[in-house]
Amino acid sequence: MNEVLGVIGTMLSLGTPLVIASAGETVSERAGVLNIGLEGVMLFAAYAAFWVSWKTGNPYLALGAATLVGAIALLATAPLVIHLGADQVVVGTGLNLLALGITGTLFVQAFGKTGRLVQVETVPTFAGDLGINVVMLVAVVLVVVAWWALFRTDWGRAVRAAGERPEAARAAGWSVFRLRLQAMAIAGLLGGLAGGYLSVAQTNSFAENMTAGRGFVVIAAVTFGRWHPFGAAGAALLIALSYGLQYLIKAYALPLPYQLFDALPYLLALAVLVGAGRAKSGPAALAIPYKEDR
Amino acid sequence: MKHATVTVGLVLGILAGVLGCTGGSQQQTASETQTDTAAKPVEGTFKVALITPTSVNDSGWSALAYRGLEAIQANLGAEIANVVASTPADIEDAMRSFAQQGFQLVIGHGYEYNQHGIKIGKEFPNTVFVSSSGDKTAPNVGAFRFYLEQATYLLGIMAAKMTKTGVVGMVGGPDVPSIESTFQAFEAGAKSVKPDITVLKAYTGSNDDIGAAKQQTLAFINRGADFIIHQANAAAPGVFEACRERKVWAFGTNSDQSSVAPDVVLASAVIRAENVFTDLARRVKEGTYRGAIELVGAQEGAVNVVFNPKLLDKIPKDVQDLLMQKFDEIMQGKLVVPKLEF
Repeated sequence: MNEVLGVIGTMLSLGTPLVIASAGETVSERAGVLNIGLEGVMLFAAYAAFWVSWKTGNPYLALGAATLVGAIALLATAPLVIHLGADQVVVGTGLNLLALGITGTLFVQAFGKTGRLVQVETVPTFAGDLGINVVMLVAVVLVVVAWWALFRTDWGRAVRAAGERPEAARAAGWSVFRLRLQAMAIAGLLGGLAGGYLSVAQTNSFAENMTAGRGFVVIAAVTFGRWHPFGAAGAALLIALSYGLQYLIKAYALPLPYQLFDALPYLLALAVLVGAGRAKSGPAALAIPYKEDR
Repeated sequence: MKHATVTVGLVLGILAGVLGCTGGSQQQTASETQTDTAAKPVEGTFKVALITPTSVNDSGWSALAYRGLEAIQANLGAEIANVVASTPADIEDAMRSFAQQGFQLVIGHGYEYNQHGIKIGKEFPNTVFVSSSGDKTAPNVGAFRFYLEQATYLLGIMAAKMTKTGVVGMVGGPDVPSIESTFQAFEAGAKSVKPDITVLKAYTGSNDDIGAAKQQTLAFINRGADFIIHQANAAAPGVFEACRERKVWAFGTNSDQSSVAPDVVLASAVIRAENVFTDLARRVKEGTYRGAIELVGAQEGAVNVVFNPKLLDKIPKDVQDLLMQKFDEIMQGKLVVPKLEF
């Protein structure tokens, strides 16, 4: 029983930031913007939250700061990818490198050349060993809101048009630039919250490159979840669950290759892709720059 | 996806290397004038470089080497530089470029640097290449091996003496021989006093993933572990946080980590590179260094167990006495702690 609770606790703890960021990334990719820089956004935000919690001792303020920093970091690349039509993968990779360099440098500046293991205030948990916290509840709300916004509002229809056939959105009187900018802002805000969660809720510290590829995992979850907020959230939780199982296997030294559980979500993703066949594959205009008002 | 991650990691490594270089050159100081008349003493500026597998802000393995490098700077007035290089090509590039810039001593912090030192050492006979661990030597190439196993063995005894559940855990970052060896010594120490103890072991594969370290530790605690030793470097706060939440004891490694989590870290297995590095650099500077493999442990003052002063009353007197006794046996050479050769 303890073990089942432990695995579920791990799934929720590791899954929450993935779920939150994937909701934002789903909106953004639906609008046609692929944010490879999500890893960097989360890392910037993780450092911001860590620093604010260290300075003020207030983890909620820290999460707020992280959310803001995430949006600023991602929107800083918006002029390049939206208005100048730069390659989104290249710009995103640049943002990731920048985040690693800047957060690493700030960390060294604040805590010394050889680093320091600092522990900061975190968001409190309840429900005992399960370790539920308020951000997990917020995550559920965010996923539902993302779904509602995308599929139950005019704005959502326009966003999806911007990612499928931007000319159509334009013809209907929407500014594709503005729609994509708004979608990126959402991806930045949620990516920021997810990054902040890493350093002041899931754990209580910062380490250089502590995101450890989670930004890429989020992008994979969005693809796996077929660009739907619920699908992406499910994929994110599945990935987190497979990590939880991995830790359990190691704790019991079971004669199972734990690497299998590392690969499990991706095997499932492949299965989904095969199953989906030639049915709709992602937004048609994903990662394709749009030239507005020629 | 995997490919993208790998590529990014590679590029980041190079970037980190560049940053490291800049940091080093900022700290350059003029060296003292040489008045030494030993065999082949260093003439002009004494320059020492350190190549680390990860950034030196990891609060662990690489950080302790950087503190050693700073000691060389402070004690011998050397110019110092540090870069991160972990792939064979990067390591050899870094070694070559330091040798070309006239560095007399290049320290590679890991066993993986040893073989590259042999290769590059042939091209640059006037530069000494030393690695932390390794089995190959040449006149200007050697290695010193920190005998941290002596300390983790003692911590294993302590955990086995104090555990109530009979289960203890070891959480590592990357699965590398140097870490595996310290874990095996911990296990050997634990089993030397409590043969039926269950010792759990897991590697998260990452030095930075605090979340993974925490979740793995929680999984161990769920299985009943009440003592956790880590080798997770910068991800250690995740281990300590899990221990704090569930009220179990933790051990620090590499440096004294009592102050990091004063309420959970009972003791730490500590490496002090300052004296070892300074002594090594002095021999290079005086021209008396000859390539060799040197084992540095408790006897050399390089390895120790440090208790958390705030939690000293939690360690029973008889356990403290036993540890002192075992430490003496190690010092006198009566107790030889097992270690892997790599």
